[in-house]
Amino acid sequence: MAIQLSHFSSSSTTFSSFDHKISYFSKWVTDIHFRRQLRNNFELKSTNGYPLNAIPMQDEGSVAKTLGEEVPFPEFGEANSMLSITVVGASGDLAKKKIFPALFALYYEDWLPENFVVYGYARTKMTDEELRNMISKTLTCRIDRRENCQDKMEEFLKRCFYHSGQYNSEEHFLELNCKLKERESGKLSNRLFYLSIPPNIFVDVVRCASTKASSATGWTRVIVEKPFGRDSESSRELTKCLKQYLTEDQIFRIDHYLGKELVENLSVLRFSNLVFEPLWSRNYIRNVQFIFSEDFGTEGRGGYFDNYGIIRDIMQNHLLQILALFAMETPVSLDAEDIRNEKVKVLKSMKQLQLEDVVVGQYKGHSKGGKSYPGYIDDPTVPKDSVTPTFAAAALFINNARWDGVPFLMKAGKALHTKRAEIRVQFRHVPGNLYRRNFGTDVDKATNELVLRLQPDEAIYLKINNKVPGLGMRLDRSDLNLFYKTRYTREIPDAYERLLLDAIEGERRLFIRSDELDAAWALFTPLLKEIEENKIMPELYPYGSRGPVGAHYLAAKHNVRWGDLSVDGLFLPAFAAGKICLDGFLLLYSSSLSKKFKDQKRFWWSGFEVLLSVIQI
Amino acid sequence: MATISSSIRCCSSSSSSSSYSNSSYIEVHQKNVPFSLVSPKRLAAKKVSLQSKCNPYSDVIIMQDGAVGTTAATTENKAPLKKLKDELLSIIPPDEHKEPIEVRGNNDKSTVSITVVGASGDLAKKKIFPALFALYYEDCLPEHFTIFGYSRSKMTDAELRNMVSRTLTCRIDKRENCDEKMEQFLQRCFYQSGQYDSQENFMELDKTLKEHESGRISNRLFYLSIPPNIFIDAVRCASLSASASDGWTRVIVEKPFGRDSGSSAALTRALKQYLEEDQIFRIDHYLGKELVENLSVLRFSNLIFEPLWSRQYIRNVQFIFSEDFGTEGRGGYFDHYGIIRDIMQNHLLQILALFAMETPVSLDAEDIRNEKVKVLRSMRPLRVDDVVIGQYKSHTKGGVTYPGYTDDKTVPKDSLTPTFAAASLFIDNARWDGVPFLMKAGKALHNRRAEIRVQFRHVPGNIYNRNFGTDLDRATNELVIRVQPDEAIYLKINNKVPGLGMRLDRSNLNLLYKARYSKEIPDAYERLLLDAIEGERRLFIRSDELDAAWSLFTPVLKDLEEKRIIPEYYPYGSRGPVGAHYLAARYNVKWGDLGVDE
Repeated sequence: MAIQLSHFSSSSTTFSSFDHKISYFSKWVTDIHFRRQLRNNFELKSTNGYPLNAIPMQDEGSVAKTLGEEVPFPEFGEANSMLSITVVGASGDLAKKKIFPALFALYYEDWLPENFVVYGYARTKMTDEELRNMISKTLTCRIDRRENCQDKMEEFLKRCFYHSGQYNSEEHFLELNCKLKERESGKLSNRLFYLSIPPNIFVDVVRCASTKASSATGWTRVIVEKPFGRDSESSRELTKCLKQYLTEDQIFRIDHYLGKELVENLSVLRFSNLVFEPLWSRNYIRNVQFIFSEDFGTEGRGGYFDNYGIIRDIMQNHLLQILALFAMETPVSLDAEDIRNEKVKVLKSMKQLQLEDVVVGQYKGHSKGGKSYPGYIDDPTVPKDSVTPTFAAAALFINNARWDGVPFLMKAGKALHTKRAEIRVQFRHVPGNLYRRNFGTDVDKATNELVLRLQPDEAIYLKINNKVPGLGMRLDRSDLNLFYKTRYTREIPDAYERLLLDAIEGERRLFIRSDELDAAWALFTPLLKEIEENKIMPELYPYGSRGPVGAHYLAAKHNVRWGDLSVDGLFLPAFAAGKICLDGFLLLYSSSLSKKFKDQKRFWWSGFEVLLSVIQI
Repeated sequence: MATISSSIRCCSSSSSSSSYSNSSYIEVHQKNVPFSLVSPKRLAAKKVSLQSKCNPYSDVIIMQDGAVGTTAATTENKAPLKKLKDELLSIIPPDEHKEPIEVRGNNDKSTVSITVVGASGDLAKKKIFPALFALYYEDCLPEHFTIFGYSRSKMTDAELRNMVSRTLTCRIDKRENCDEKMEQFLQRCFYQSGQYDSQENFMELDKTLKEHESGRISNRLFYLSIPPNIFIDAVRCASLSASASDGWTRVIVEKPFGRDSGSSAALTRALKQYLEEDQIFRIDHYLGKELVENLSVLRFSNLIFEPLWSRQYIRNVQFIFSEDFGTEGRGGYFDHYGIIRDIMQNHLLQILALFAMETPVSLDAEDIRNEKVKVLRSMRPLRVDDVVIGQYKSHTKGGVTYPGYTDDKTVPKDSLTPTFAAASLFIDNARWDGVPFLMKAGKALHNRRAEIRVQFRHVPGNIYNRNFGTDLDRATNELVIRVQPDEAIYLKINNKVPGLGMRLDRSNLNLLYKARYSKEIPDAYERLLLDAIEGERRLFIRSDELDAAWSLFTPVLKDLEEKRIIPEYYPYGSRGPVGAHYLAARYNVKWGDLGVDE
């Protein structure tokens, strides 16, 4: 069946003649080569005019090698294998918004194996057609190459099917199994289950899927989304239950932050550049900041959130994972196990969080410009007396030789003034600085800083002290910049695409191992317990503000200054700056209409100045 | 002290009343500072740079972020504000004001006369007068100054003014009062004609100068913009007959400073008959370039560079200079010297010394120059083997024929003078042992540029090795400081190409001056003239530096000339002789500039 949909289906149909088979075979072989080369064989594209090095060597050497010693299943005779991806909880939001679009994007870019089917599974009664209809609304093609978009969508949707059933019914999963078998029609079957369902039914589904719908011939893998428990115990319990039905290497715990482009790039930056690694220790780094902020609140969907809070929702997983990647020692290789071993070591070297190292906050209602924004407890899905933190800042320490004494600060919050996620590395001051006079008394004010902005507008920049051009000797902090948008025109893939593909390929680097999870919970559990048992009151902050001031005092205690609270406009790409400039101007204009500016001349002048100053960047 | 003197240097706000006492000086700062604190950041920066043109030296680092200018919490703002003020005040502790810097003496009572000897020459017209005007335009000259043109041509003051006025331009970014300022400036320009070797004529000059000084303390600066063979004569006459009686007398000399160790030493000796070491200002205008000035700032005020600044991390350093035109009918002077003397032995070597020096004790001129001399003295003299020379030949491209070097009428037909040279140098000290410092300079090449490239070593035990193939050195980090054109700093890093695969890519962390700083970058001559007026010697070459520089190059120059070594010919507009590549290859280096880079 699925073969009918393959590249050649439109042409002649069956491959009766031997010749055809051969040509078909070689076609996919080259296909695979192409793909695998792109993905697994690292290559360096040089922009400095050197010949594209290493590529020829890799073509001969490593492709041959990978074909020879290939262990993972998917590439094992792809024409004879079939991949089924079952999205459990297909009618849910995540499935609609992220999973199906990501699958389509992979299909669109030819990353998926030749033979695959996508199954939606949920309790809702629905036909295949209805599922397709639902999905099609959220599919988009890459902006940068729109060719055949409609055709591709059609083809993709034809491979999508739906099966309705209860999550805890082994029978229903048995039915699913039958259907899958039918599609597989005797091919080697590989099955991936994506559990996009509430945590309380994780185990049921895993039980049913694993006992009734496991692949008989190929692999069966299960992708699980957060939350992985609420604390050490519940997490351990969950792991134990999962392991009743699955082995460790079948469990793919997704942390979609690890699929972000710049998080992936973090290791590349560190380990493939000579200039960074020597600086990567307490000798040169003063502190590291992991900052996450959202500019909206729970907006009527606080039910889940209220049970977890920002620390569990963002810090204990996303930020801590990034921290571990940031701080780990050089792994033996880029293999998943090697990397995860190093990450666990970091987590195990960390000091358990203490209450005094944490500040929690909760947003309250706020009116601005005639518009009022609701507070957290105004959300109907949130209990009126909730003390769940929607903001938290924490100071963590890694007690190992490399990082002893270096504060790692985290900050995460909802309903703040911006949406962003970034890593900021503040370096120490220059010892015996010749230019000390130019810095005044606080030598820490003008230290170097490396910023990796994960979102929005991916960028890397390094703040350096520089002489302001001119006759004097004025120093200035400017940036060595890399804006992804200006350098790379291609659309950056969504984190889910990367992670799904990795799961399909059995690449576990970006998934969380059980012992990592344990170690992560061990750091946060005592603190979470303490906050909850003592009902610690969060510091209230207005919706849309910069968060509670407590975060500053926490930072100050460790002699740190948050790097993100500034007019960072300089680091916006030029067009964004232009937009701001325009917006600002319009704002000024509108405020002038409201007679705020009595003196028109002054108003125009100030508008002009704003314009100028922005253009100046 | 450097920063202090600079912070004081041009504070005579001509618009206001002039003589500034300590308190008024501080006031200037205070006026500006609170402003910058309450207004949006960039605006503030702009304000400061506009208003305090003549204290561009407020010596405050402009912070792009941090608390200043943040509206986050008021508690945050107050502390830094106060602190900042304190800092500003602390920058100029009271005792600094006793600094015996001449300009700072009472402006009412002192005057500076700048005499451009060789005023009808090209350099004077194109560079010196415009630079002086730019300084005047930006209020950086002292209250009382006069400019004298001196040369053999007969000319009236008006004629000089007429000549000068044609080359004056105002800063592009602030054109206010341009014509007015020009008028005012020209009013202060005078002309005196005379022979370069005539004490009498200089005596007349002295008399006129005295008139203009009208009893004030007289400080005199002579800019010798004349051929080297009459240096000494002019210095003798000027010093004997036209020295300042009560202030200082300084002489700016341009290259060439001799042709080799011997002639240079002779020149220095002759100069010293009439002048003290601290009266001689040997100009190397490359040292006045913005990014060369910035080199030390980059190294010494950033934590991230200094740890990397040694043989442990740096694989090689390249100093590259290229011009996209030939001698174009003015080869007479050049043919006598050649590219090695014209560019390498002075400009590139000076930059090299700045690049490689140890951290000086302070930013004082003597401290910096001490360190530079140490570098030069640790270097191995060049041998013929370490050098590749070339000469451009004619070339026809797209119907246009470009002349070869020997086609130039002012060049002898059999000239072997190199118009291109590449050299490898080594510094035998603990920091740089074994690191090749490569230089390349040439005329009539395919582009015009000057840059410093620092190539770093490969990452030891790189876990991304597979991505790099066999040659690990191909994808190393590289720091590029482009001195001209389009000043820029960029650091090449390896980066993941966004997308689902794992492809690495060399991209740049960039700082393009044009994009970041809208202000026009002053010409090197402005900076150097101002420094000379203020007695700041940091960017001028001391006699012992010059000696050390010559002793590195003299043997190879002698060899080349005595053995009449034939240069490798390269077509006009090409990338230069291929020999440069073989020279680099010998030290396992690849020139970084020959790519589709920018």
